[in-house]
Amino acid sequence: MALPLLSRSLAGLLVESSSITHQRTFSVSAVAAAIQKMTRVRVVDNSSLGNTPYHRAPRVIHVYTQNGIGKVGDKVLLAIKGQKKKALIVGHKMPGDRMTPRFDSNNVVLIEDNGNPTGTRIKVPIPTHLRKHEGEYSKVLAIANAFV
Amino acid sequence: MNILTRSRKLISVFKSSVLLDRTGVLRSVCSVAKARKDLCLPPLFTANVPSCQHRHHVSTLNLDTKRLYSEICTESDESTKSTGVFREESQEMERDSSALNQRSPEKFTIDVLVSLLRQENAVDICVIKVPEQITYSEYFIVVSGVSPRHLRAMALYAIKVYKFLKKEGAPDVKMEGKDAEDWMCIDFGNMVVHFMLPESREVFELEKLWTLRKYDEQLKSMPTETLPEDFIYDGKVTK
Repeated sequence: MALPLLSRSLAGLLVESSSITHQRTFSVSAVAAAIQKMTRVRVVDNSSLGNTPYHRAPRVIHVYTQNGIGKVGDKVLLAIKGQKKKALIVGHKMPGDRMTPRFDSNNVVLIEDNGNPTGTRIKVPIPTHLRKHEGEYSKVLAIANAFV
Repeated sequence: MNILTRSRKLISVFKSSVLLDRTGVLRSVCSVAKARKDLCLPPLFTANVPSCQHRHHVSTLNLDTKRLYSEICTESDESTKSTGVFREESQEMERDSSALNQRSPEKFTIDVLVSLLRQENAVDICVIKVPEQITYSEYFIVVSGVSPRHLRAMALYAIKVYKFLKKEGAPDVKMEGKDAEDWMCIDFGNMVVHFMLPESREVFELEKLWTLRKYDEQLKSMPTETLPEDFIYDGKVTK
């Protein structure tokens, strides 16, 4: 009884893996813990600094929280194009609270030292629970186009 | 009777059937400050033609997208004629408030906020009614100021009035952007106010974004993102 079921499930898995064949030459690790130092992030606003291509992806070099873990609404320091820039986390791959959106990429919006956003528009959806957090998020919400 | 004729004039100026629905809203919203609205309209007619045209263009776009909710009300207080008008109206307002002392606004509504912004000589008040699909706030207000000090004074005064009028137990409202001198904002739950200098207002163009939504020019000029060739979609989410 168990054998035919097992073989059927195995066959299903084999079929699945063969249809999505992407031969990887490197290993891909699972999601670690939200955003911390050395994570590569995706800049989602329309600033020139975030959108011009560079041979290195923007990386987090410091997280401005008590522990070094950055969640949605935390400020981080990025290294972009050889310069340091502050940014605000607007979405991460790690599942957060229930009924809060989880994103497929670690999204970040560039910010000046005085809190003004560097870009002028954000196309990517921004979580609305940012509003309830303590901090200065109204400016980022004001230039956002889509809310989640 | 007066306000009916004035509102009909408004409709003819904008030439959109959308505002026919809105006059009902206008009448109900401005029931307390009728005098203010009456004196508002003459400066609107003498306002700069390009800005009027821009607003007209925006309202037709809204028709096309079947978004009947955004209501744009721009009042530019730059002309000297309007300052004269508003001096009169502030006196009228005081008379009104003294007469209706019992009915002085107990809640910090949009009318209270806009009237206090006018009182503070705010430049270019722009009140945008956010459609209900966007669950952000009901009203989005952008205000310009003469100098950073002016912006700060307006913001602090707005917070002061809010604190005076709020009931016990209501959450306090804090001002964001204290260290930024060109952009300050206050989020009162159902309303959001942004105090900006004219230069940063030109850079960000918040009114355009919030009235045009996805038809905004800056959004359109952003290049659409394409996936890189070596992209591998990891469908499994490990918990």
